[in-house]
Formats: sequence, C-alpha cells, structure tokens
Amino acid sequence: MAREPADVLIVGAGPSGGVVALRLAEAGFRVVCLEQGGWLDRADYPGDKLDWELKARKDWATSPNIRGLAADYPIVEDDTPVSPLMYNAVGGSTILFAGAWPRMLPSDFRVRTLDGIADDWPLDYFELLPYYYRTDRQFGVSGLPGDPAYPPDSEDAPMPPLPIGAAGMKVARAHTKLGWHWWPEFNSINSVPYDGRRPCVQRSTCQSGCNEGAKASADLTHWPKAIGLGAELITGARVRRLETDAKGLVTGATWLDADGNEHFQPASVTVLAANAIGTPRLLLLSTGPGHPDGLANSSGLVGKRLMMHPFANVAGLFEDQLMSWQGQFGDLIESLEFYETDEKRGFVRGARWGLAPTGGPINTALPSRAGEQAWGPEHHTHVRTHLGHGANWGLFAEDLPDEANHITLSSTVTDAWDIPAPEVHYAMADNARRMLDFHIERARESLEAAGAYKIEVDRLMRYSGWHLLGTARMGDDPASSVLDRWNRAHDVANLYVVDGSCFVTSSGVNPTSSIVALALRAADHMVETRFEQQVPS
Amino acid sequence: MNTVADPLATLDAVERTTFSAIADHLIPAAHGMPSAAEVVDDDRLRFVVSARPDLFEPLRAALRADLGDDVEARLDRLGRDEPAVLSSLQLIIVAGYYTDRGVRERIGYPGQMAIELRSWEVPPYIDEGLIDAVLARGATWRDPATGTRAIVADAPRTYAERFAAPADAPSAGSPDAAPTEGGT
Repeated sequence: MAREPADVLIVGAGPSGGVVALRLAEAGFRVVCLEQGGWLDRADYPGDKLDWELKARKDWATSPNIRGLAADYPIVEDDTPVSPLMYNAVGGSTILFAGAWPRMLPSDFRVRTLDGIADDWPLDYFELLPYYYRTDRQFGVSGLPGDPAYPPDSEDAPMPPLPIGAAGMKVARAHTKLGWHWWPEFNSINSVPYDGRRPCVQRSTCQSGCNEGAKASADLTHWPKAIGLGAELITGARVRRLETDAKGLVTGATWLDADGNEHFQPASVTVLAANAIGTPRLLLLSTGPGHPDGLANSSGLVGKRLMMHPFANVAGLFEDQLMSWQGQFGDLIESLEFYETDEKRGFVRGARWGLAPTGGPINTALPSRAGEQAWGPEHHTHVRTHLGHGANWGLFAEDLPDEANHITLSSTVTDAWDIPAPEVHYAMADNARRMLDFHIERARESLEAAGAYKIEVDRLMRYSGWHLLGTARMGDDPASSVLDRWNRAHDVANLYVVDGSCFVTSSGVNPTSSIVALALRAADHMVETRFEQQVPS
Repeated sequence: MNTVADPLATLDAVERTTFSAIADHLIPAAHGMPSAAEVVDDDRLRFVVSARPDLFEPLRAALRADLGDDVEARLDRLGRDEPAVLSSLQLIIVAGYYTDRGVRERIGYPGQMAIELRSWEVPPYIDEGLIDAVLARGATWRDPATGTRAIVADAPRTYAERFAAPADAPSAGSPDAAPTEGGT
C-alpha cells in the first residue's frame, strides 16, 4: 500500500533522526519517519520501583538480544567479545543511554596527520563547534565552562553542573595532588528546570530510563516539537529495504507494520538514522541490479570499520560510606589526562575516563564483572564493604578503524519478519589492548591516591558496545568512503546517513553529542541545497 | 515464559525444601544478618517471579531432583553444565533477599532516593580550589596545527578569572534564551 510522498523520509526516531526531523520540519519540509519501536511512558520506567535491578537485567537491558522485545531484532554476536547495545523506540538509544555528553577533541579529527594512522575527517573541530552549541541547547546540557582540555568556548553550557558526589570529590582531590586533569562531567541531564523538563533527582537509574524526564532523550527533546511542526512519525514500522529507480536514486522504503502488512513510503530524499548496526544492515539488504552488493556500496565499505570503544572498568573500594549508589549515571567527573598520543607508552591515541555511580544491592551482591564471587558467611561482609563504598572509573579506549571489524547479513538468523539479522565480526586491536592496559594502571594509581584500599578491574567488559560507529564512513574520496562531507552517499544523491555510521575514527569519548551535531550540520546542508537536490521523477 | 497464574504453586514440597537449602548455603545467617531461606519466603519469591516471569523455568530446572541432594555438588554441576540456570537461581535468591525491607534497613540502604539538587550553590570543589588547580596548568588539548600541546594566550588561570570575563552565554532555563539558530 503506497502512501502520500514525503519530502524527506527518515528511518529511525533516535537522537540523530530527531534532530534532522526537527530542523527540516522547522524549514517547512514534509517529514515522515519510520520507527520500528513505539512510544514509551516514563511512568513505566523501573528506576523508581522496588524491582528496578531485576527488570534492568531483562526488559530494560541495553542488549537487544537479552531484551528480545517485539521492537528488537536479533544480533548474531558469536564472533565478537563486545556485544552491541541499543534501544528501539521513539528516542532510540537515548532512552537508556547514560547521558554523558563530552565533545570530541580537535586532534580526533586529524588522526592520520598527527599520528600517521587511520584517517583524517573531512571536517575539523572548529567547523563542528557551532553545531555543538546548538545541539547542547536543544538537548539541554549541564556543565562547568572552562575545561582547559578543550579550546576556549564562546558559549557556555546552558545549565550549571550536576554535583560530583563524595566519590567525585575524593578523586578530584587525588588528581589535584597528582597534577592530573579532571573536570566535572558535561551531561545532557537537567541540573535546573529546562525546556519544560524537571531537574535530575540523582536516582542513578539513567540507564533504565529517566522517570523524571531530566535526562535528554529524543522522545522528549525533539519529537514532540517536530510533530508539532507537522512531521509524521509512524511507529511499529520495520523497514525491509530501500527502493531505487533506474537512475539509482532512492524512491522510498518498503516497510512492514506490526501485523506484517507491507507498505511503501515514497520520498524525495531518504535519511538513515538507524545506528551503525541497523543502517548498514538496511543498506546491505537494499540490493538491486545496479548495486548487487548493497546500496551506496561502490567503495565496499558499507558495514566495514565497525568501532565500539573497548571498555574497561576500574573500581576502587573506600572505607567511607560514599552512598555511591546515587548520582547521575551520566558521569560525575572525567579525566582526559592521558587522552592525547604519547608514543613512549607503546600505543597511539588515548582514552577518556568517566567516574560513575556503582549500582544497588543486587548488582553488588551478584558475582561482579571483575569476577569476584562472595557466597557463604562472607557474603554479608562483601555487600557491606562494597555497597556505596565504591568509585568506578570507566575507561573508553579509542577504537581505530579496521575493515576486518564489520557486519554482514546472517544467512541463518532473521527477525520476526524474516529479515536477515546483522552478524557482527569484531576483534579488539593490539593497540587498544595496550592502551587499556596502560590506562587501567593509571586509573589504579588515581583511585589509590584517592584512598582506595582495594582495586577491582574488569579488563574488557562484554556488555559495553554502547558506541556503535564507523560502518558508513564520511570522506572526500568516493573510492574510500561511503558518505561525503555532508553525510550524503557518494553513490546516491538523495540518500543521507546521519547516525554514528558516518564516523571516520571513533575518538575516545562518548559519541552522542558529536553524532547529533553532525546530524544537525547535515540537516542544515539539506535545507541550504534544497533547490539543487536531485530527486526521483 | 511460564503463563501459569501462580507458578510457585506448581513447585512441590521437595523443590521448596531444595530451594531453601540452596538459599541458606549461598546466603547463610551471619554477621547479624538473616539467612536467605528466612527472608525469601513465598511472598518474596512471588515478587521476583512476578517481575521476571522468565526466571521461573530456570528456577524449576535448578531444583530438579536428578541433580542430587548435595547442595554444593548441585551448584558445581549447574555452574559447569548450565551456567545460565545457575545465574538465574542466584539472581532469584539475591533479588528476593535484597528487596526485603528488613534486609535493606540492616545494610543501611534506603533505595534509590530522589534527592533535590541545590544547583544555585557554589560547588565544594570550587571553594576548595580544585578547579583552580586544573586551570593553573593551562591548556592541555593538542593543537592540530602544530601537533603539540596548545598555547592559549590570556587563558584564565583561576575560576574567578574565567568568570570575571563577560560571557556570551544564554541564561539558564530555556533553549529559547539562546541566539536564534541559523538558516530558515
């Protein structure tokens, strides 16, 4: 069943889709978005309920394979030590993300030039900076201006910083003694009432959905406004493939509703915002006579160069009761002390550290991710010494692009509508392993300087693939990139990709603030070039 | 997923006895705390299975008779052959125990509390001079133009200097307070 044509069709109602929808709706475009999940009611989020830690491990888990909800698709992950994480709903993965909102650094855009490895981006930090300011305002960011790890800003975060807690204070004092960088973390979490949303209450359940609406999720920050301006959002809409005409332009998307009925949504321009697993999956599914290896794939790079930020956790235990089950999750503070390359360390690039809360009693009592089990009489001692007594450094290692890390379409596993599942093939690089090993030791020193009497380390956490990046990279050369510098496919003049797939390198920071800034930049370009835009006849 | 209205009613007396023995083994009474068998009664078990119906079948599997009478041997065998079943069993016992009000009171855990922020107050790290110490070290970002640590002329070296400068900042509380976005 064909529908009324859209000026722009967006696939995916997460943060990048929301940013593009709002910008284009403001400019008067007729926008239609297809989202395979639905709307959520934050009253249903488990964070303010007694069964929070139980439900966070199943229906609210960050892994779609664990959730197995109707809106999800399975991911074949037998060939990866890191599981990709995401959420499928209006708001996308911002429903369950932590809300940490650091920017990439200037050197992140010039990795080839500075370190002789990987690639440079087709834009630099200063070109993206005005978009960071605008998306910071849209999402609502709390933070202390003036971090000397970044170039000076002409615009401050719209809200004052969130508190850093007793654990943050201990570590901040330690870094002052060590002469190491630290800074209160920038989070897309309200510290004061902002844009009709309430401030954070420090419940620390951000990764199970924010009951207060204080954390910026695109279902709150963007979609109501875009819909108010005329955008149409269709939920329960699972896109099977993009269709093309004889000229190779995308004519729209074939999709299935919740009952399995097939529809076709025609559009002049199509924008993919389905994350760096879902987007290449859809491009690979969209084969045709002129593109037998998938749409926009003349470079052969669709689905290649997957990056996920190998993640280690270093936990310090303190004698004091820190109540570290509370606080934004999000991060309390960050350190970029060892972020930039120093080749004497035996690797290039670096990692960002984020200090996070430590969870409730069920998380504390179960065998820890660092491998410790405590049963029998000492179980009680274990819980009493751990619950609220911890400070956790999460270490995000820059993941350099490698074509061997890629996704393919499974020949055996499908979703509920017989659409092939994505298959992830990923290995941690030696450079990243050496990097994490170095940073683990420095994080240990940090926590010991803060007074920790015991350190527990998880050297590579399996369920840490929050940051899905790189599977349809940007670049100026169509032979070595999928997208141009404006996120438009080199091969298909009316196809854009605005999610983390576009990343050239991963940086070592949480990527959502950069993904949405890039998406807004792409949307501005669509508006500015609308009269030159090729469209199907 | 079990669809029986009250799945616990389908556990027989032997299975319930086995459950209590395992619960006592994993979390015995000690250090002033009750055992899990004392705490995780039918109500607590029902609470857990109601929140997580997917856990009931692993629970039944963990309690089956062919695993023998020796609790430690049963847990060893589950850990070796059926780790997912063992993990589910541990989660059921731990969740039943730590969602009990009395246990929470004894460990000093009030739950995830809603705490009002006092964002108008100067943060203690500024009062202690911890931000000044970071600013005093100067810029640390790597300048792509030179490949070396950036030099920022006139960079503020204290928090007071940073905020003495006129800020081109929007007032807090609304994205509309910010400058108009570019384009149409």
